[in-house]
Amino acid sequence: MNARALTSDILLGVIPIALAIAVWQGISSFGYAPVTLLPPPGMVFSRLVQQLFTSSFQHEIASTLFRLFAGFSIAVILGVGIGLAAAASPAVNAVVRPIVRVLAPLPKVALYPALLLLLGFGHESKITLVAADALFPILLSTYYGASMVEQKLIWSAMAAGTPRRQILFKVVLPAAVPSILTGCRIGLVISCIVVFLAEMISSTDGLGHMLVKAARTFQAVDMFVPLITISLLGLILNGLLQGLRSYLLRGFPEV
Amino acid sequence: MKVLPSDPAPARGPASAMIEIDHVSQTFRTSGRQAHLALSDISLTIEDGAFVSILGPSGCGKSTLLYIVGGFVSPTEGEARVKGRAITGPGPDRGPVFQEFALFPWKTVLGNVMYGPRQQGVKSAEAEAQSRRLIEMVGLKGFENFYPKELSGGMKQRVALARTLAYHPAVLLMDEPFGALDAHTRTRLQNDLLNIWERDRKTVLFVTHSVDEAVFLSDKVVVMTRAPGRIKQIVDIELPRPRRRAELLLDPRYQKYVVEIERMIDDTSEDGLQP
Amino acid sequence: MMARALSRLAPLLAVLGLLAIWQAGSLMLNTESFPTAIQAVRAVPSILGDQESLIHILDSLRRMAIAFAAALLFAIPLGLMMGRSRLVASFFNPLLMITYPVPKAALMPIIMLWLGVGDLAKMLVIFLGVSLPVIYHSFQGARAVEEKMLWSGAAMGLSAPQRMVRIVLPAALPEILTGCRTGLVLALITMVTSEMIARQSGAGNILFNALDMGQYDTVYAMIIIIGAMGIGLDAAFERLRSRLVRWSEPGFDIPLSFA
Repeated sequence: MNARALTSDILLGVIPIALAIAVWQGISSFGYAPVTLLPPPGMVFSRLVQQLFTSSFQHEIASTLFRLFAGFSIAVILGVGIGLAAAASPAVNAVVRPIVRVLAPLPKVALYPALLLLLGFGHESKITLVAADALFPILLSTYYGASMVEQKLIWSAMAAGTPRRQILFKVVLPAAVPSILTGCRIGLVISCIVVFLAEMISSTDGLGHMLVKAARTFQAVDMFVPLITISLLGLILNGLLQGLRSYLLRGFPEV
Repeated sequence: MKVLPSDPAPARGPASAMIEIDHVSQTFRTSGRQAHLALSDISLTIEDGAFVSILGPSGCGKSTLLYIVGGFVSPTEGEARVKGRAITGPGPDRGPVFQEFALFPWKTVLGNVMYGPRQQGVKSAEAEAQSRRLIEMVGLKGFENFYPKELSGGMKQRVALARTLAYHPAVLLMDEPFGALDAHTRTRLQNDLLNIWERDRKTVLFVTHSVDEAVFLSDKVVVMTRAPGRIKQIVDIELPRPRRRAELLLDPRYQKYVVEIERMIDDTSEDGLQP
Repeated sequence: MMARALSRLAPLLAVLGLLAIWQAGSLMLNTESFPTAIQAVRAVPSILGDQESLIHILDSLRRMAIAFAAALLFAIPLGLMMGRSRLVASFFNPLLMITYPVPKAALMPIIMLWLGVGDLAKMLVIFLGVSLPVIYHSFQGARAVEEKMLWSGAAMGLSAPQRMVRIVLPAALPEILTGCRTGLVLALITMVTSEMIARQSGAGNILFNALDMGQYDTVYAMIIIIGAMGIGLDAAFERLRSRLVRWSEPGFDIPLSFA
């Protein structure tokens, strides 16, 4: 029953996407919009496929992915580390909490000019921006997950002879994994978005830069290609994370 | 009440004190900065190998008393000792089994049971062999590689019991272990627990709010009053072992114990009704 | 009492601490492109005092407010319907999944192509950016409403639309407000970014023009102003939220903000 329900769900979900593409095709083929403003979908997708095999496009994707992963990895390491520390130690908590309260709602993009001035126009400033933006959801969900660990789970481990300082890694961290992964998922989407924006604002390569370059010369087709690419990248990365999640959480009850 | 002569006395020397609870009181601070007295001046000695139940209405602090013995909570006043040594924290000589099971969701049944022995430094292969035997003993052979979420409540509690038994605690601390189970599963687990207990006669401290369960399982039932928790009376259950549930239900001595204790609880419950 | 006062002051202390680190850092680096915190803070009044800049900033806020309100009116009903109807949910879910990783501000160049560089293009981008998290959280909130609560409502004679407004909406409110809070920070971010891309007016425009012209004091002062807007709006919203849903525990007491 489940499999069939799932198939019908997928079919139903394809409808609006197909519909959107059909409307898009309709608008351009009935001449409501000139090709320079809205190129037909076939043109965009064939352009995308054609681009995929050029080394320059592969290079753009590679540099975007590099920045994305570098920033995201830094955010995961810092976020999980600080989040766990804040959950484990009241002293760390007292310091981290107000700082996070101030920094979390700060629009990080506004910091980008300062990062450019301090770190230059290369990878560093973009990676830092991605890390700064992805950090807080990961940190907060780690902290939340770690401080919500069932007390009796910890007691059970302590009674079995686990020393206090090992409890953090043997019980709290594994028990917080579901929450941490939720944070990572939000962080990953943010990383996709931010890396693209940073490349749009100042860059010499990457998908965001492609969009800006195309926009300057009013090449509508080339503007759509990087946007669709980042959307597909987001979907693929999200799928990979989902796979990792279902592997790591195979013991946990469904949420 | 006379004990039947056929009652086999446990073959061991003079009973020694396993757990001593010495003038223990516990106060909690509630959010409104009010002090709430949960336990008031409790003194109790539990002998080695005894099965003792603590019975009382909810909110009488019976679980708190168990947590104090476990070393999870330190008493505001007084002291608890195990084998004569003051309790300062949790230790593998006292193994808890909680109503909520508290199994590690990221570990399989085998992984959960092996956790204690591995923590004690037992070699992996040996810990696994021991754990497999225990899993078989609690009736879960074939489920070694299942995750807790794939098991029913009763099975989870069997795993939790095996996990605790695996590190050979001298005392089992059972916190309403069958409280979340349906009546049928509950009965089966009570029987199985008694069978396991008959083998090695570990000391058991068993918290419950079911009179029936307390009388069926225990050598001694400690009846507590509602907040602040005090010991109202200690009832020695002199029923022969091994006990069979179906036979006991017809036994007038069993019925008398149940009725007697129900009455005590009724008295204490009325206290709780006052605003 | 002492502890409570301290915990209320803590964010302020954190701000001062961060400014102090900034001050020390810039003194140590001592480069022209990284003015000290004191220099930057000094430049703030001159920007806010300048009529043209002030109009720019107020323009930004006006666009943001309109787009934010429009997004709520659109996203909350859609999210609630998705939460209560499997059909609606499976219809829209994949579409949302595809659009989620697309940076909304990156649509700016294309939307500008269609709508020009005016207010409408910027508001549309903010609208899109705010809608997604609000839809998502309303969806989650409505999905978590207990079936039995709705049965009780039906038994009391409430019609389906009435159940939606009188049961699902209030029950999902804490979750919806979490989405709105994320949306608010997001609106600010999208506002700044869209103005950076379509350099014509607004706070983002001042920021990046100053960067291009090498007016570093202004760059950092604008960062302070935009940062303060973010923190201020968030704090104000949090007060509103805690009043509206006093009965519910906050899930996160800090918003999850991102671009």
